Amino acid sequence: MKEWFVDYIRRYWRRFIVILIVSLLAVLCGAALMYTSGYLISKAALRPENVLMIYVPIVAVRTFGIGRAVIQYIARLISHDATLRILSEMRIQLYKRLEPRALLIRSKVRTGNILGLLSDDIEHLQDVYLRTIFPSIVALSVYFIVIFSIGWFSLSFALIMAIYLFVLIILFPIISLWMTKKKSQKINRQRNHLYQNLTDAVLGVTDMMISGRSHEFIHQHEKEENEITKVTSTLHSMSRLREFMSQGIIGLIVVSMIVWSSGMVNTHQIPGTLIAAFVLVVFTLSEIFIPVSESIEKISQYQTSLKRLVETSHFETEESKNELDHIMNPDKVTIRLDHVYFRYDNESEWTIHDLNLSIKQGEKIALIGRSGAGKSSLIKLIYGALKPEKGLLTLNGIPATHFGEKMSDFVSVLNQTPYLFDTTIRNNIRLGDQLASEDEIKRAAKRAKLDEYIDSLPLGYQSVVDEMGENFSGGQRQRLALARVLLQNTSIVLMDEPTVGLDPSTEKDLLDTMFEAMKGKTLIWVTHHLVGADKMDKVIFIEDGKIEMQGHHRELMSKNERYRRLYQLDVPYQL
Amino acid sequence: MNRELMSYKGIKLILALISVITMIQSICIVFQAKWLSDIISSLFAGHSLSSVSHQIIYFAMAFTARYALSLLIKRRAYRFAQKTGTRLREQMMAKLFQLGPAFVRREGTGNLVTLVLEGISQVKTFIELILPRMSSMGITPVVILAVVFIENRTSGVILLVTMPILIVFMILLGLAAQKKMDLQWSAYQTLSNHFVDSLRGIETLKFLGLSKKHGTSIKRVSEKYRTMTMGTLRLAFLSSFALDFFTMLSVATVAVMLGLQLINGEIFLNSALMILILAPEYFLPVRELGADYHATLNGKEAAEAIQSIIDVPIEQKKKNLFSLSKWDENSELTLNKVSVFREEEGKMSLNCINLSVKGFKKVGIIGESGAGKSTLIDILSGFMTPSEGEIKLSENEHSLTSLTHEAWRKHITYIPQTPYIFSQSVLDNVRFYKPNASVAEVEKALEQAGLAELVEGFPDGIKEQIGNGGRMMSGGQEQRIALARAFLCQRPIILLDEPTAHLDIETEYELKETMMSLFNHKLVFFATHRLHWMKQMDYIIVLNQGKIIEEGTLDNLLNKKGEFHKLIQSQLEGLE
Repeated sequence: MKEWFVDYIRRYWRRFIVILIVSLLAVLCGAALMYTSGYLISKAALRPENVLMIYVPIVAVRTFGIGRAVIQYIARLISHDATLRILSEMRIQLYKRLEPRALLIRSKVRTGNILGLLSDDIEHLQDVYLRTIFPSIVALSVYFIVIFSIGWFSLSFALIMAIYLFVLIILFPIISLWMTKKKSQKINRQRNHLYQNLTDAVLGVTDMMISGRSHEFIHQHEKEENEITKVTSTLHSMSRLREFMSQGIIGLIVVSMIVWSSGMVNTHQIPGTLIAAFVLVVFTLSEIFIPVSESIEKISQYQTSLKRLVETSHFETEESKNELDHIMNPDKVTIRLDHVYFRYDNESEWTIHDLNLSIKQGEKIALIGRSGAGKSSLIKLIYGALKPEKGLLTLNGIPATHFGEKMSDFVSVLNQTPYLFDTTIRNNIRLGDQLASEDEIKRAAKRAKLDEYIDSLPLGYQSVVDEMGENFSGGQRQRLALARVLLQNTSIVLMDEPTVGLDPSTEKDLLDTMFEAMKGKTLIWVTHHLVGADKMDKVIFIEDGKIEMQGHHRELMSKNERYRRLYQLDVPYQL
Repeated sequence: MNRELMSYKGIKLILALISVITMIQSICIVFQAKWLSDIISSLFAGHSLSSVSHQIIYFAMAFTARYALSLLIKRRAYRFAQKTGTRLREQMMAKLFQLGPAFVRREGTGNLVTLVLEGISQVKTFIELILPRMSSMGITPVVILAVVFIENRTSGVILLVTMPILIVFMILLGLAAQKKMDLQWSAYQTLSNHFVDSLRGIETLKFLGLSKKHGTSIKRVSEKYRTMTMGTLRLAFLSSFALDFFTMLSVATVAVMLGLQLINGEIFLNSALMILILAPEYFLPVRELGADYHATLNGKEAAEAIQSIIDVPIEQKKKNLFSLSKWDENSELTLNKVSVFREEEGKMSLNCINLSVKGFKKVGIIGESGAGKSTLIDILSGFMTPSEGEIKLSENEHSLTSLTHEAWRKHITYIPQTPYIFSQSVLDNVRFYKPNASVAEVEKALEQAGLAELVEGFPDGIKEQIGNGGRMMSGGQEQRIALARAFLCQRPIILLDEPTAHLDIETEYELKETMMSLFNHKLVFFATHRLHWMKQMDYIIVLNQGKIIEEGTLDNLLNKKGEFHKLIQSQLEGLE
């Protein structure tokens, strides 16, 4: 709450005050227009000898008329500007919050689109200012101004008005917030449930069709929607009723105003010209006071967003601050694992169990094993994103977790699903080395064997990745990621199943390109089957976090029955 | 006004009803103004409060009636919106499950779910707002203007002239803003997507060592986004500025004119006051419409998107033209010159496929990605209608255009690369095709699929929640859930689309044994690029670029040393 809200108010209070003053001026101009108009025609009805007698009100009426429009325009602009400023700061804040734990978010949060949701939440929060805070404070200020101005004439009537308006801008909003809160929470819960079920049904659309259960599903969905509709209908009729009652209060104010001002005129406390002026002002003010309830009601909608953002603070943990201070040779790196143990929490089994391994510069290693055997965890340990619970994992003698940001100078990673950013092919490749020249980018594309394809595109390197959608196949995406990694030019490359899901010939081509481009580099390649294993210096078979067997492909083929059997299964030998 | 809106059932009736109520409401507005101005001018003339007590009561009644009617209008519009929304949703969902997986893939799951949930509520908001706005826009200003003209011609002219000017300016400025938006649209999209793009790619940025630095880039882009948005807003707000400006100016002018006429004795105070009170009411409908414009815009777009899904044509089949009571040794399925065109011109996913199967057989479909394996499976599963060609099915005298029929789907099991696991218990997931299966039956299926031990180990056993939000399962285990479903139903035809492509070799090997026991005495279509499965197939089809380039039994194809042999060789190539 504090960091996502109060802090911003504290930082932006000057702007906020300006916004409030300008918005208030706009309202007052509108009121003043009706006030002076009423005064003007009443005065004119007295038939003064000379037009000059009403010259001042005439000018005032025009000024207020134009002023109101101009000031309103300015108020809208500056309030949007301020919220956009806040939006951009909130984005940076959220990003900084997530960045240190970037590599672990996926395992931490299971709901797929949490990142997209958080980004939406921030956009929701900007509405707090535009739709709730500013209008409410303006209404409150007008409230005090009205009470004080009436108090000038009559204390007792000011008190009556204070009570009427109190009902409008304090009592009604509080009551409706209190009454709607539970209901809108219930709606939110039910909608989330619907959302999950519907996503389930759409993702499982084939099962829905084949099982013939789609009618049943639609029926069930409609039943739940109906329940929601029932609740929203009560909310709607409540808000309709509230608005009707608010208008009723405005009507009451008008009548009271008539009664009071006629009394004041009779006792000669105010001139008769002010009756019309006072009464007309009431109507303009109703436009400010009535929407307050609705603004306040929105608070319950922001709460979900705020809650989710506050929860991101769980992501924040101690990050290894001790950045690398030794100067080490980045071209020659030896990785050493010394009795490494790792598990995700204290109760579970060891994910990595007493692992010993030494990988010299330029060695090519294949890590093979079932899913869940600990291969990916091992990759994260080597990258320094995870910390061994026991044992030592070092690069040239320095613990991997000490590298921090610098790790990307030594180690690059090719994932199962490389993320391509919504920008041009050139910019996507350039991410590997932001200082790379045009030539270097093209060379990297060539080494990834993507140059011909890129040249065949109408826009070449300027093509935007996202717009190409389906035309960019899985293999080509991997090649683009490969070009990026080649530009990054580190001495160690970690590959986490980059060819999964590709068909055999695409896979083989891609692997050939990868192996060729990575001559001289240390390569640690996690894979789930054995195609290409013969090209590696060593094949390590991991099971339950332990090394089950290791050695060169040839060696394993001749000595190890299990390996031989798997290899034969994987490669269509027997056919 | 738009096309979708006018096509909704009952729209004319509700519009007529609302218009009538709005008419009465407009009359209330006029009388409310009349009595109020009478009261004020009497008091101004020095009459006592008690002499106007009748008018005060009349005023209060007109005032109350006006807002009571507005409550009524809102309620009507709300109910109509709810009813229409529900109907649209039902139609859209029914269509969704008819169009099937190919459509879902094209439109995106997220998009469709959002359209059903958010889109429908946006449409409801749109209907709910636009109905009262349309009728009050059409009726109230006209009534007020008529009254003003009767009372005072000059004021009437001022109001009459202002309205078109106001609307023209509003539209012109709105269009200018829109044009500016359109010009910068792609830049605008990129800027506004930049943040969510950054969040999604945060892992990659970290690996590239750019994640820290990227914070400044977010700042820079956000600032750019702000300046750009403000540039557009400056123009966009001008349109509501024009609205405000002309309204206020017109009211001010009317007030001044009335003042001058009063001095000259050309008008009485009560008429002048009445006109002054009515002037803002005259502009109120336009201002409300302007204020709600953006809220209605989303709804309008959603309405179009929803309608376009509902309107996707689907071949209407007469029920009696398709029948399939059972599939046995004598049943026969024949594909005759079946082709599927892709949306892009000239490309074919399937090109003139001829295929005939009889009884129970295991058919392997092999080929590289893009060869048309999945399309062929989609046709055979009844998810897709071929663009050309005919299908013959025993029991059916006439040839068919497609298998997209429930009678066919009732006999098949479909297992994709990653079977979908619903967010339900193991029990409900396994008996998804057969919801009334007993626990004992499900347990037996789990046993056959090799999951019994795993499920017994769960804290909640067979009631354990799996799927999204529940216990995570490995790819092999998910595949076994799908197999358990198949074991439970024992449907005679099984279609598999690359069921093991993403699994590690040992898991695949273990699954193979389970699968082979399932395939017994069934018609199986098995699409894969893993060649070792072909050993167990009775018949093999080799696809290349949408065509069958070779077919036959394994021995046949091996002896022939043709395309199939080439495929094997290419996979062996480069290996020792």
